[in-house]
Amino acid sequence: MEAAFEVFSKLEEPTGAEEDWRYVEYNLPFSRLAPVGEPGSPVPPGPFVGAIEATSGKALIVDGTVVESSSDQLVVRRLVDIEPERLLNRVPVDHNKLAAAHAAFAHDGLFLDVPEGAVVENPFLIDLQGVTPGAASFPHISVRVGERAEASVIVVYRSAPGESLLMVPQIHLELGQGANLRFLSLQNLDHAATTVTHQRVVLGRDATARIGEVGLGGDFARLDLAVELEGDGSSAETVGLYFGEGTQTLDYRMVIRHAGKHTSSDVFLKGAVEDESQSVFTGLLRIEKDAVGTSTFETNRNLVLSEGAKANSVPNLEILCDDVVCGHGSSVGPPDEESLYYLQSRGLPLPTAERLLIKGFFQEVIDRLPIGGMEEPIADEVFRRFVAHQSEGQVA
Amino acid sequence: MNPALSVKGLTASIASKEILNGLDLEVPFGEVHAIMGPNGSGKSTLCHVLTGKEGYEVAGSALLDGVEILDLPVDERARLGLLQSFQYPTEVPGVRLRDFVYEAAVAHGVSPEEAEARIDKEAARFGVERFLDRSLNDDLSGGEKKRSEIFQMAVLRPKMALLDEIDSGLDIDAVRQVAEAVEEMRSPEMGTLMITHYSRILRYMTPDRIHVMIDGRIVDSGERELADELEAGGYESVRQRLGLTRPAVAAERRPSEFFTETPFDV
Repeated sequence: MEAAFEVFSKLEEPTGAEEDWRYVEYNLPFSRLAPVGEPGSPVPPGPFVGAIEATSGKALIVDGTVVESSSDQLVVRRLVDIEPERLLNRVPVDHNKLAAAHAAFAHDGLFLDVPEGAVVENPFLIDLQGVTPGAASFPHISVRVGERAEASVIVVYRSAPGESLLMVPQIHLELGQGANLRFLSLQNLDHAATTVTHQRVVLGRDATARIGEVGLGGDFARLDLAVELEGDGSSAETVGLYFGEGTQTLDYRMVIRHAGKHTSSDVFLKGAVEDESQSVFTGLLRIEKDAVGTSTFETNRNLVLSEGAKANSVPNLEILCDDVVCGHGSSVGPPDEESLYYLQSRGLPLPTAERLLIKGFFQEVIDRLPIGGMEEPIADEVFRRFVAHQSEGQVA
Repeated sequence: MNPALSVKGLTASIASKEILNGLDLEVPFGEVHAIMGPNGSGKSTLCHVLTGKEGYEVAGSALLDGVEILDLPVDERARLGLLQSFQYPTEVPGVRLRDFVYEAAVAHGVSPEEAEARIDKEAARFGVERFLDRSLNDDLSGGEKKRSEIFQMAVLRPKMALLDEIDSGLDIDAVRQVAEAVEEMRSPEMGTLMITHYSRILRYMTPDRIHVMIDGRIVDSGERELADELEAGGYESVRQRLGLTRPAVAAERRPSEFFTETPFDV
């Protein structure tokens, strides 16, 4: 921690000129915030936490402190229970100022172990909250899935209504040989909150990860995700959706790195921006020299629903190996005119046609999310935003 | 009683190029009419202009059961009872055929219970159950797309059906099935106008009238024998009989164009 603090102190705060901040304005309330020690009072269950019925365990993390945690099927520990060498820290301390801040200031952590061979049917639910006004919090979550074990984890991000605060979580997911993890994060922070999440997924041989990312909240919300396909035969699917409104910025930075042989990955991400919101997707598919037989694909589709909204989509490939199959597709634009015309030609008024089109656009992603049972509240939350926007007469 | 559709002096141009050139046409309720014409004669434009696609400068009159529709937006024309089946129905990912046709029926003023009942009944009748719960037109064969269009028509029960090249891109069995479905749909409450440049679908059905469209106008109307003449001698035969000169651009086309299938039509 002391070493991390030193790194943190030495690293410059971003000026906004860095590649990281090329598409978004750097405006983190960093200097105005202070790390928080004692957790504040949790917020009541929202649309997602309330909708999850059967679980294999639960944890409540408030302002970076693990307030509650229990499971009858997974081994649940906190930072104090962990030997330092067992920490799965895959984000280098000097990755950036925020990663260093996390390493320096995280004072607690949740560690889930799925024992070798265990098959855990129901998801483990992590309710991740920031509540203390003006506070910076550094929640830490590690999930280790043992050999041939199967588990699923849901993380729901939430924050106190109207409160400006910063949340800098780190989430480490490590899959052993033949392990299978389904992971769904539902980022539904209040629009006043800011978050930069560093998430790392490391796959062993023949491991399978299915990752879902739903991004709805936050004034500025960044997900810095790296998927490391290290083991031969491993595969990872990342499916996500985001919907920006007001002046939100939703920022996705993904690196999918194929290192093992015969690995496969698929990124499928769809988003919409309205009002004056903006989104960023920068996705790098990196295929290492020895990663023969890699198959990888990346798709990012964006709907721009207002003149003042903006979506940036920047897919990238870095291929150091010949024997690969890969591709990417990316699009940014308004709802398809031809489709709207077709729907209207059967008697649907334009607003109804638009609603159906938006619903369909996201349904494709919702149907592919890794953990079932949440389709309706997710679709409702997305749809509510669009309908509110539409009834304000802001749709062209 | 009003005709289902009555078109008078219809002109349409796009980028100041005149495509429809004073077109007159009447389709009574209960009848099936076919418009045949070579590529570039304005058949698809006629469909677009009647349906309400933007981008055309339009004059003249088109009455749907006595109501002028040319000034109305596309969705309002549909709710008044005009339905165009598309030559290339758009694929709409994530929107299920069932949900779409339900929303459309409700927009037509059909009660939710009645809409559901019609969907079940017509889906069985036109064999669309297999893709009823799949994305609209996504990953369907040409024949399935056309069946989906006819199924929607059966649920929405328009007063006037415009079938734009409903036989294009189909193999011979599918053409026969579509023709049978169109005959099956025949009703005293509906007029039907088929638009085609290919006469083979007419072998499997009996239109009440056949109209020949050349250079943006109906130049001749008749019954079965007109289709026979076209099949034997092509549009050239009709042109010669009526003393129509071919415009310079059209003269460059191959005489056999009548029998070619081209995916795009002006």
